[in-house]
Amino acid sequence: MIFQQNNPIGEIFTILGYWDRILSGFLTTMWLYVWALMIGFFLGLLLSLFRQYGGRILSRVSGGYIEFIRGTPLIAQLFFIFYGLNIPVGTWNVLARFSIFDKNITFIFLNHRILFGIIALSLNSAAYQAEYLRSSIMSIGAGQLMAAQSIGMSRVAGIRHIILPQALRRVIPAWSNEAAYLPKYTVVVSLIGATELFGQAKSIVADSFISLTTYIIVAIIFLITIAIISKGLDTLHKRTEIPGL
Amino acid sequence: MWKSYEDLQVLKGVSFELAEKEVKVIFGPSGSGKSTLLRCINMLNPPDKGEIFLHGKNITASGVNLNEIRTRIGMVFQHFNLFAHLKAIDNVSIGLRRVKGFSKEEAREKALEALERVKMAEWADHYPAQLSGGQQQRVGIARALSMEPDIILFDEPTSALDPELIGEVLQVMLDIAKAGTTMVVVTHEMGFAKAVATEMIFLSEGAVIERGTPKHFFMKPESERVRKFLKQLEVLYGTHEQMIDLLEEEEK
Repeated sequence: MIFQQNNPIGEIFTILGYWDRILSGFLTTMWLYVWALMIGFFLGLLLSLFRQYGGRILSRVSGGYIEFIRGTPLIAQLFFIFYGLNIPVGTWNVLARFSIFDKNITFIFLNHRILFGIIALSLNSAAYQAEYLRSSIMSIGAGQLMAAQSIGMSRVAGIRHIILPQALRRVIPAWSNEAAYLPKYTVVVSLIGATELFGQAKSIVADSFISLTTYIIVAIIFLITIAIISKGLDTLHKRTEIPGL
Repeated sequence: MWKSYEDLQVLKGVSFELAEKEVKVIFGPSGSGKSTLLRCINMLNPPDKGEIFLHGKNITASGVNLNEIRTRIGMVFQHFNLFAHLKAIDNVSIGLRRVKGFSKEEAREKALEALERVKMAEWADHYPAQLSGGQQQRVGIARALSMEPDIILFDEPTSALDPELIGEVLQVMLDIAKAGTTMVVVTHEMGFAKAVATEMIFLSEGAVIERGTPKHFFMKPESERVRKFLKQLEVLYGTHEQMIDLLEEEEK
């Protein structure tokens, strides 16, 4: 019987040979991430404004939603939306095929898995982003809105022209937490069968029988991606800083 | 006007009239309801009971457009409350643009005029955090002035300032008072009151204790409470008399 010798370098090259799947998975991960972050941001902004300025009813609804989302596991939320709600959307794909070198790469823009993945991630992220935004809004003194109203601005105009421009600048350092967490959360979407980076990694492991090296490579890809995101947000924060403050 | 917060009665029937070009100085111990009174006047903090008339129109009535009313009642705050993300010029012009609907150029021009009146035109492109307290407060005054309100309310405009910065703000306030601006000023700057107040009102525990001209207050105040308070002010701050004299000399 011949025992196969572990050759790490060889393994790395074997896995990199699946670069088409890794690339396709990475694109899907980023696709999920960007949509979830964006939709989550706008929903989160609404939630935070409702919670802060919405009066009794809206602020309670918003607060309840946030507590519910933060208090239950993301995976439960995803399964509930995907399996539990039984929304009949059918199975379909909107995809692009292209080839790089000799490999054909399929990138799925949207199918029912990606769609529900984006919805679950957005609804989840919105709750967290809402709390970041709310604490940023609260850190701006009540005097700012009072001053805006004292020159005849309506409450809404004051929030839009005075509060939000400041709150959105201030929120960046805290918000970058969410921006750095979310790429890793997209991994759960592989559990409803979406072929994002982690899903592709699993299929590579199944074909190559090389697990540790595959997951390390995936981890490194996440690490680099998130480092770039953090750096980008850091730069954005510095660029948008209010002089003298 | 009457106003309470929960069980605490802050204003217990305060009433006064203000004619055009009048400068009314309101003073009294802390917690006497002075700031609350000002916030009632521009309805940022509407009174529980009582009525406020602006040019004969009851602004405490329901259905009044308060945003429109507030364009006619300017306010200067104790802590300036400049919009932190806007340059001095934009702090002044934003009301003209967003509320009065001026074009960008028109608003800029008018804002510069207002900044000139408070001698801050050369600081137009600085952000609030880059300005001293006195400079910020002058921008705050320009912001109120630029809207061309019927009245400007001053809520302890110099009490958050370092002593050496108070003079420049008082000077600006004297200038605009002499230019015929109608003002209600909550302040303990008795020098300012002496120079321009048409009437002074002493407020304590939400009620008017005594009112009269500056002369009345400084010559023969009736109540013991007022005498004591004025004495304390003198001990603490001095009278600023010399400073006012100095300012008047400069003008001549």
